[in-house]
Amino acid sequence: MARPPLSPRSPSSPRSPRMGDLERVVMEHLWESMAQDEAEGGATVRDVHAKFAGEREIAYTTVMTVLDRLSRKDLVTRVRDGRAWRYRPSDTREALTAATMRNTLDEIDVTNRRLALLHFLDGASSAELADLKAALAEIEARGS
Amino acid sequence: MLAALLAVPVPWLMARQRVFRRSPRAALAVWQAVTVGALASGLGAAPAALAVVLRDERPMAHLGTLSVLGAGSGLLLARLIVSGHRVGRHLRVLRRRHRELVDIIARHADGRLRVLAHPAPTAYCVPGLSPRLVISDGTLSRLTHDEIAAVLAHERSHLRARHDLLMEFFTVVHEALPQRLRRTEVMAEVRLLIEALADGAAVKEVGRMSTARALLALSGSATPEAALGAATTASPRIEVLAAGPLPRVVSALMYGYAAALLAVPVAVAAWSVR
Repeated sequence: MARPPLSPRSPSSPRSPRMGDLERVVMEHLWESMAQDEAEGGATVRDVHAKFAGEREIAYTTVMTVLDRLSRKDLVTRVRDGRAWRYRPSDTREALTAATMRNTLDEIDVTNRRLALLHFLDGASSAELADLKAALAEIEARGS
Repeated sequence: MLAALLAVPVPWLMARQRVFRRSPRAALAVWQAVTVGALASGLGAAPAALAVVLRDERPMAHLGTLSVLGAGSGLLLARLIVSGHRVGRHLRVLRRRHRELVDIIARHADGRLRVLAHPAPTAYCVPGLSPRLVISDGTLSRLTHDEIAAVLAHERSHLRARHDLLMEFFTVVHEALPQRLRRTEVMAEVRLLIEALADGAAVKEVGRMSTARALLALSGSATPEAALGAATTASPRIEVLAAGPLPRVVSALMYGYAAALLAVPVAVAAWSVR
Protein backbone atom coordinates (compact mmCIF):
# COMPACT_ATOMS: atom_id res chain seq x y z
CA MET A 1 0.00 0.00 0.00
CA ALA A 2 1.38 3.36 -0.98
CA ARG A 3 2.05 5.71 1.84
CA PRO A 4 -0.10 8.87 1.77
CA PRO A 5 2.02 11.64 0.27
CA LEU A 6 1.33 14.13 3.01
CA SER A 7 1.91 12.59 6.39
CA PRO A 8 -0.18 14.08 9.17
CA ARG A 9 2.78 14.36 11.54
CA SER A 10 4.16 17.86 11.71
CA PRO A 11 5.19 18.82 8.20
CA SER A 12 7.09 21.82 9.56
CA SER A 13 9.37 19.79 11.80
CA PRO A 14 12.87 21.12 11.09
CA ARG A 15 14.30 17.64 11.44
CA SER A 16 12.20 16.23 8.67
CA PRO A 17 14.53 15.45 5.76
CA ARG A 18 11.55 15.92 3.44
CA MET A 19 11.28 19.57 4.42
CA GLY A 20 14.88 20.31 3.45
CA ASP A 21 14.34 18.50 0.18
CA LEU A 22 11.22 20.54 -0.58
CA GLU A 23 12.97 23.78 0.28
CA ARG A 24 15.62 22.97 -2.29
CA VAL A 25 13.15 22.03 -5.01
CA VAL A 26 11.02 25.12 -4.42
CA MET A 27 14.09 27.35 -4.36
CA GLU A 28 15.23 25.87 -7.66
CA HIS A 29 11.82 26.54 -9.14
CA LEU A 30 12.00 30.17 -8.02
CA TRP A 31 15.47 30.59 -9.50
CA GLU A 32 14.25 29.15 -12.79
CA SER A 33 11.29 31.51 -12.85
CA MET A 34 13.68 34.43 -12.41
CA ALA A 35 15.88 33.20 -15.24
CA GLN A 36 12.86 33.08 -17.52
CA ASP A 37 11.45 36.44 -16.62
CA GLU A 38 13.58 38.84 -14.63
CA ALA A 39 10.79 41.37 -14.08
CA GLU A 40 7.83 39.09 -13.47
CA GLY A 41 9.73 36.18 -11.92
CA GLY A 42 8.96 34.61 -8.58
CA ALA A 43 5.85 32.74 -7.62
CA THR A 44 2.90 32.79 -5.29
CA VAL A 45 2.01 29.88 -3.04
CA ARG A 46 -0.70 28.98 -5.55
CA ASP A 47 1.82 29.00 -8.45
CA VAL A 48 4.21 26.69 -6.62
CA HIS A 49 1.39 24.40 -5.56
CA ALA A 50 0.11 24.20 -9.14
CA LYS A 51 3.60 23.61 -10.49
CA PHE A 52 4.17 20.54 -8.32
CA ALA A 53 0.62 19.20 -8.58
CA GLY A 54 1.61 16.97 -11.47
CA GLU A 55 4.95 15.73 -10.13
CA ARG A 56 4.48 15.27 -6.42
CA GLU A 57 1.55 15.59 -4.11
CA ILE A 58 2.26 18.50 -1.82
CA ALA A 59 -0.46 20.07 0.27
CA TYR A 60 -1.11 23.76 -0.18
CA THR A 61 -0.30 24.37 3.48
CA THR A 62 3.01 22.57 3.08
CA VAL A 63 3.97 24.93 0.26
CA MET A 64 3.10 27.82 2.58
CA THR A 65 5.33 26.39 5.26
CA VAL A 66 8.21 25.84 2.85
CA LEU A 67 8.05 29.40 1.53
CA ASP A 68 7.76 30.75 5.05
CA ARG A 69 10.85 28.83 6.13
CA LEU A 70 12.81 30.07 3.09
CA SER A 71 11.69 33.57 3.93
CA ARG A 72 12.87 33.26 7.53
CA LYS A 73 16.25 32.10 6.22
CA ASP A 74 16.39 35.25 4.09
CA LEU A 75 16.64 33.16 0.94
CA VAL A 76 13.43 34.63 -0.49
CA THR A 77 11.72 37.99 -0.23
CA ARG A 78 8.02 38.57 -0.74
CA VAL A 79 6.08 41.37 -2.31
CA ARG A 80 2.34 42.00 -2.54
CA ASP A 81 0.76 40.67 -5.70
CA GLY A 82 -2.91 41.55 -5.59
CA ARG A 83 -4.27 39.71 -2.55
CA ALA A 84 -1.43 37.20 -2.40
CA TRP A 85 2.30 37.30 -1.71
CA ARG A 86 4.72 36.80 -4.55
CA TYR A 87 7.96 35.14 -3.44
CA ARG A 88 11.22 35.89 -5.21
CA PRO A 89 14.74 34.61 -4.52
CA SER A 90 16.63 37.22 -2.52
CA ASP A 91 19.67 36.54 -4.68
CA THR A 92 20.94 34.29 -7.45
CA ARG A 93 22.37 30.92 -6.60
CA GLU A 94 25.78 32.13 -7.78
CA ALA A 95 25.72 35.17 -5.49
CA LEU A 96 24.61 33.09 -2.50
CA THR A 97 27.35 30.55 -3.19
CA ALA A 98 29.96 33.30 -3.43
CA ALA A 99 28.73 34.84 -0.17
CA THR A 100 28.86 31.45 1.54
CA MET A 101 32.41 30.87 0.33
CA ARG A 102 33.45 34.29 1.62
CA ASN A 103 31.85 33.72 4.99
CA THR A 104 33.55 30.41 5.55
CA LEU A 105 36.97 31.63 4.44
CA ASP A 106 37.07 35.09 5.94
CA GLU A 107 37.04 34.26 9.62
CA ILE A 108 40.46 35.25 10.81
CA ASP A 109 40.48 34.65 14.54
CA VAL A 110 39.88 31.33 16.18
CA THR A 111 36.31 31.98 17.20
CA ASN A 112 33.33 29.71 17.52
CA ARG A 113 32.28 30.75 14.06
CA ARG A 114 35.47 29.40 12.64
CA LEU A 115 35.23 26.35 14.85
CA ALA A 116 31.81 25.47 13.50
CA LEU A 117 33.27 24.10 10.28
CA LEU A 118 36.40 22.03 9.99
CA HIS A 119 38.33 23.18 6.94
CA PHE A 120 40.81 21.00 5.14
CA LEU A 121 43.25 23.87 5.14
CA ASP A 122 43.30 27.33 6.60
CA GLY A 123 45.42 28.73 3.78
CA ALA A 124 49.12 29.39 3.54
CA SER A 125 51.21 32.52 3.02
CA SER A 126 53.41 32.84 -0.04
CA ALA A 127 56.51 32.47 2.15
CA GLU A 128 55.15 29.18 3.43
CA LEU A 129 54.45 27.97 -0.08
CA ALA A 130 58.15 27.78 -0.88
CA ASP A 131 58.76 25.68 2.25
CA LEU A 132 55.84 23.46 1.35
CA LYS A 133 57.20 22.78 -2.10
CA ALA A 134 60.60 21.94 -0.64
CA ALA A 135 59.04 19.54 1.85
CA LEU A 136 57.01 17.90 -0.88
CA ALA A 137 60.13 17.44 -3.02
CA GLU A 138 61.77 15.80 -0.01
CA ILE A 139 58.91 13.31 0.36
CA GLU A 140 58.95 12.69 -3.38
CA ALA A 141 62.69 12.03 -3.38
CA ARG A 142 62.34 9.38 -0.72
CA GLY A 143 59.51 7.74 -2.58
CA SER A 144 56.51 6.04 -0.98
CA MET B 1 48.57 23.59 43.76
CA LEU B 2 48.44 20.72 41.34
CA ALA B 3 45.79 22.48 39.32
CA ALA B 4 48.03 25.52 38.99
CA LEU B 5 50.96 23.33 37.98
CA LEU B 6 48.98 21.56 35.28
CA ALA B 7 47.22 24.67 34.07
CA VAL B 8 50.21 26.89 33.43
CA PRO B 9 53.70 25.50 32.85
CA VAL B 10 52.89 22.04 31.56
CA PRO B 11 50.98 23.24 28.50
CA TRP B 12 53.55 25.96 28.04
CA LEU B 13 56.31 23.37 27.78
CA MET B 14 54.30 20.89 25.78
CA ALA B 15 53.16 23.29 23.10
CA ARG B 16 56.81 23.81 22.25
CA GLN B 17 57.65 20.15 21.74
CA ARG B 18 57.11 19.85 18.02
CA VAL B 19 58.31 16.30 17.79
CA PHE B 20 55.12 15.02 19.47
CA ARG B 21 53.13 16.22 16.49
CA ARG B 22 54.34 13.17 14.65
CA SER B 23 52.16 11.06 16.89
CA PRO B 24 49.04 13.21 17.00
CA ARG B 25 46.75 10.63 18.56
CA ALA B 26 49.03 10.08 21.54
CA ALA B 27 49.72 13.82 21.82
CA LEU B 28 46.00 14.52 21.94
CA ALA B 29 45.59 11.88 24.65
CA VAL B 30 48.24 13.70 26.70
CA TRP B 31 46.52 17.05 26.16
CA GLN B 32 43.20 15.63 27.27
CA ALA B 33 44.82 14.04 30.30
CA VAL B 34 46.48 17.33 31.27
CA THR B 35 43.20 19.19 30.88
CA VAL B 36 41.06 16.65 32.70
CA GLY B 37 43.70 16.33 35.42
CA ALA B 38 43.82 20.09 35.92
CA LEU B 39 40.04 20.34 36.01
CA ALA B 40 39.75 17.44 38.44
CA SER B 41 42.33 19.03 40.72
CA GLY B 42 40.62 22.39 40.54
CA LEU B 43 37.15 21.01 41.15
CA GLY B 44 38.33 18.52 43.74
CA ALA B 45 40.41 20.94 45.79
CA ALA B 46 37.53 22.01 48.03
CA PRO B 47 36.01 18.57 48.72
CA ALA B 48 39.47 17.07 49.32
CA ALA B 49 40.43 19.83 51.73
CA LEU B 50 37.11 19.40 53.51
CA ALA B 51 37.79 15.70 53.97
CA VAL B 52 41.23 16.43 55.41
CA VAL B 53 40.02 19.19 57.68
CA LEU B 54 37.14 17.16 59.11
CA ARG B 55 39.63 14.68 60.52
CA ASP B 56 41.49 17.49 62.26
CA GLU B 57 41.15 18.09 66.02
CA ARG B 58 39.88 21.62 65.52
CA PRO B 59 38.18 21.85 62.10
CA MET B 60 37.00 25.40 62.69
CA ALA B 61 40.58 26.70 62.63
CA HIS B 62 40.78 26.03 58.89
CA LEU B 63 37.58 27.81 57.98
CA GLY B 64 39.42 30.54 56.04
CA THR B 65 41.37 28.14 53.84
CA LEU B 66 38.28 26.06 53.26
CA SER B 67 36.14 28.96 52.13
CA VAL B 68 38.83 30.18 49.74
CA LEU B 69 39.15 26.72 48.18
CA GLY B 70 35.39 26.27 48.15
CA ALA B 71 34.91 29.56 46.35
CA GLY B 72 37.63 28.62 43.85
CA SER B 73 36.20 25.21 43.03
CA GLY B 74 32.66 26.58 42.91
CA LEU B 75 33.64 29.38 40.58
CA LEU B 76 35.46 26.97 38.25
CA LEU B 77 32.43 24.70 38.14
CA ALA B 78 30.09 27.59 37.40
CA ARG B 79 32.31 28.92 34.65
CA LEU B 80 32.58 25.49 33.04
CA ILE B 81 28.81 25.07 32.99
CA VAL B 82 28.22 28.52 31.51
CA SER B 83 30.97 28.11 28.92
CA GLY B 84 29.81 24.62 27.96
CA HIS B 85 26.29 25.82 27.46
CA ARG B 86 27.29 28.87 25.44
CA VAL B 87 29.81 27.19 23.16
CA GLY B 88 27.62 24.15 22.58
CA ARG B 89 24.52 26.11 21.69
CA HIS B 90 26.42 28.55 19.47
CA LEU B 91 28.09 25.75 17.50
CA ARG B 92 24.87 23.82 17.02
CA VAL B 93 23.04 26.86 15.66
CA LEU B 94 25.85 27.85 13.29
CA ARG B 95 26.22 24.31 11.97
CA ARG B 96 22.53 23.73 11.46
CA ARG B 97 22.14 27.02 9.58
CA HIS B 98 25.13 26.29 7.41
CA ARG B 99 23.99 22.75 6.68
CA GLU B 100 20.53 23.91 5.63
CA LEU B 101 22.00 26.64 3.44
CA VAL B 102 24.47 24.31 1.73
CA ASP B 103 21.72 21.76 1.15
CA ILE B 104 19.81 24.38 -0.82
CA ILE B 105 22.54 26.15 -2.78
CA ALA B 106 24.98 23.30 -3.49
CA ARG B 107 24.74 20.33 -5.84
CA HIS B 108 23.97 17.08 -4.11
CA ALA B 109 26.56 14.44 -4.82
CA ASP B 110 26.22 10.97 -3.34
CA GLY B 111 25.29 10.79 0.32
CA ARG B 112 26.29 13.77 2.38
CA LEU B 113 28.72 15.27 -0.11
CA ARG B 114 27.80 18.73 -1.40
CA VAL B 115 29.50 20.60 -4.23
CA LEU B 116 29.51 24.39 -4.30
CA ALA B 117 29.57 25.91 -7.79
CA HIS B 118 32.46 28.26 -7.21
CA PRO B 119 35.89 28.54 -8.87
CA ALA B 120 37.80 29.08 -5.60
CA PRO B 121 39.03 25.83 -4.09
CA THR B 122 37.71 24.92 -0.66
CA ALA B 123 36.99 21.78 1.31
CA TYR B 124 35.44 21.45 4.73
CA CYS B 125 32.99 19.48 6.75
CA VAL B 126 29.99 20.54 8.79
CA PRO B 127 30.08 18.24 11.82
CA GLY B 128 27.05 17.13 13.77
CA LEU B 129 24.49 14.36 13.88
CA SER B 130 23.60 15.04 10.27
CA PRO B 131 27.02 15.97 8.89
CA ARG B 132 27.95 17.33 5.47
CA LEU B 133 31.11 17.23 3.42
CA VAL B 134 31.51 20.31 1.26
CA ILE B 135 33.91 20.90 -1.63
CA SER B 136 33.87 23.41 -4.45
CA ASP B 137 34.23 23.13 -8.21
CA GLY B 138 37.56 24.91 -7.76
CA THR B 139 38.81 21.95 -5.72
CA LEU B 140 37.53 19.43 -8.26
CA SER B 141 39.17 21.19 -11.20
CA ARG B 142 42.49 21.85 -9.50
CA LEU B 143 43.16 18.52 -7.82
CA THR B 144 43.82 15.09 -9.30
CA HIS B 145 41.60 12.14 -8.53
CA ASP B 146 43.91 10.85 -5.79
CA GLU B 147 44.29 14.27 -4.23
CA ILE B 148 40.52 14.68 -4.06
CA ALA B 149 40.33 11.24 -2.48
CA ALA B 150 42.87 12.40 0.11
CA VAL B 151 40.86 15.52 0.93
CA LEU B 152 37.66 13.51 1.29
CA ALA B 153 39.38 10.87 3.43
CA HIS B 154 40.70 13.65 5.66
CA GLU B 155 37.27 15.23 6.12
CA ARG B 156 35.52 11.89 6.55
CA SER B 157 37.90 11.00 9.34
CA HIS B 158 36.96 14.28 11.09
CA LEU B 159 33.32 13.27 10.91
CA ARG B 160 33.81 9.61 11.77
CA ALA B 161 36.00 10.24 14.81
CA ARG B 162 33.92 13.26 15.89
CA HIS B 163 36.99 15.50 16.08
CA ASP B 164 34.58 18.38 16.48
CA LEU B 165 33.65 17.12 19.97
CA LEU B 166 37.32 17.11 20.95
CA MET B 167 37.70 20.66 19.66
CA GLU B 168 34.52 21.63 21.48
CA PHE B 169 35.81 20.20 24.76
CA PHE B 170 39.04 22.18 24.58
CA THR B 171 37.15 25.31 23.55
CA VAL B 172 34.76 25.00 26.48
CA VAL B 173 37.65 24.73 28.93
CA HIS B 174 39.52 27.52 27.16
CA GLU B 175 36.59 29.89 27.42
CA ALA B 176 35.83 28.89 31.00
CA LEU B 177 39.27 30.07 32.10
CA PRO B 178 39.84 33.69 33.04
CA GLN B 179 41.50 35.71 30.28
CA ARG B 180 44.91 35.62 31.99
CA LEU B 181 45.04 31.84 32.12
CA ARG B 182 43.87 31.17 28.57
CA ARG B 183 46.52 29.65 26.36
CA THR B 184 45.84 30.46 22.71
CA GLU B 185 48.92 28.49 21.67
CA VAL B 186 47.39 25.39 23.24
CA MET B 187 44.24 25.80 21.18
CA ALA B 188 46.36 26.25 18.05
CA GLU B 189 48.38 23.16 18.89
CA VAL B 190 45.30 21.03 19.53
CA ARG B 191 43.83 22.19 16.25
CA LEU B 192 47.03 21.29 14.44
CA LEU B 193 47.13 17.86 16.09
CA ILE B 194 43.55 17.16 15.01
CA GLU B 195 44.41 18.11 11.44
CA ALA B 196 47.53 15.95 11.55
CA LEU B 197 45.41 13.08 12.84
CA ALA B 198 43.00 13.43 9.91
CA ASP B 199 45.97 13.68 7.54
CA GLY B 200 47.12 10.36 8.95
CA ALA B 201 43.77 8.83 8.03
CA ALA B 202 44.16 10.19 4.49
CA VAL B 203 47.67 8.75 4.27
CA LYS B 204 46.33 5.33 5.22
CA GLU B 205 43.71 5.48 2.48
CA VAL B 206 45.51 7.09 -0.43
CA GLY B 207 49.16 7.40 0.58
CA ARG B 208 51.55 10.05 1.74
CA MET B 209 52.30 11.56 -1.66
CA SER B 210 48.71 12.30 -2.61
CA THR B 211 47.96 13.73 0.83
CA ALA B 212 50.99 16.02 0.70
CA ARG B 213 50.19 17.06 -2.86
CA ALA B 214 46.58 17.84 -1.90
CA LEU B 215 47.84 20.04 0.94
CA LEU B 216 50.12 21.88 -1.44
CA ALA B 217 47.51 22.22 -4.16
CA LEU B 218 44.97 23.73 -1.79
CA SER B 219 47.44 26.01 -0.04
CA GLY B 220 48.15 27.68 -3.37
CA SER B 221 44.76 29.31 -3.06
CA ALA B 222 45.89 32.01 -0.66
CA THR B 223 42.87 33.12 1.33
CA PRO B 224 42.66 36.67 2.70
CA GLU B 225 43.61 35.44 6.17
CA ALA B 226 46.80 33.87 4.87
CA ALA B 227 47.72 37.12 3.20
CA LEU B 228 47.38 38.76 6.58
CA GLY B 229 49.99 36.37 7.94
CA ALA B 230 47.76 34.52 10.38
CA ALA B 231 49.33 31.30 11.58
CA THR B 232 48.32 28.45 9.32
CA THR B 233 48.69 24.74 9.73
CA ALA B 234 49.98 23.99 6.22
CA SER B 235 53.74 24.02 6.92
CA PRO B 236 53.77 22.03 10.17
CA ARG B 237 51.41 19.45 8.66
CA ILE B 238 53.59 18.85 5.64
CA GLU B 239 56.59 18.64 7.97
CA VAL B 240 54.77 15.95 9.92
CA LEU B 241 54.00 14.11 6.68
CA ALA B 242 57.64 14.35 5.61
CA ALA B 243 58.95 13.11 8.96
CA GLY B 244 56.52 10.21 9.23
CA PRO B 245 55.09 8.77 12.43
CA LEU B 246 57.10 8.39 15.62
CA PRO B 247 58.29 4.93 16.67
CA ARG B 248 55.67 2.93 18.54
CA VAL B 249 57.74 3.00 21.72
CA VAL B 250 57.52 6.77 21.88
CA SER B 251 53.76 6.76 21.39
CA ALA B 252 53.42 4.10 24.07
CA LEU B 253 55.45 6.27 26.46
CA MET B 254 53.19 9.21 25.64
CA TYR B 255 50.08 7.18 26.44
CA GLY B 256 51.75 6.11 29.67
CA TYR B 257 52.44 9.72 30.52
CA ALA B 258 48.79 10.58 29.83
CA ALA B 259 47.65 7.81 32.17
CA ALA B 260 50.05 9.01 34.85
CA LEU B 261 48.73 12.55 34.55
CA LEU B 262 45.23 11.25 35.22
CA ALA B 263 46.41 9.02 38.05
CA VAL B 264 47.96 11.87 40.05
CA PRO B 265 44.75 13.72 40.97
CA VAL B 266 43.03 10.39 41.65
CA ALA B 267 45.85 9.38 43.99
CA VAL B 268 45.74 12.72 45.79
CA ALA B 269 41.97 12.42 46.19
CA ALA B 270 42.30 8.87 47.51
CA TRP B 271 44.90 10.03 49.99
CA SER B 272 42.76 12.91 51.23
CA VAL B 273 39.71 10.74 51.99
CA ARG B 274 41.78 7.87 53.33
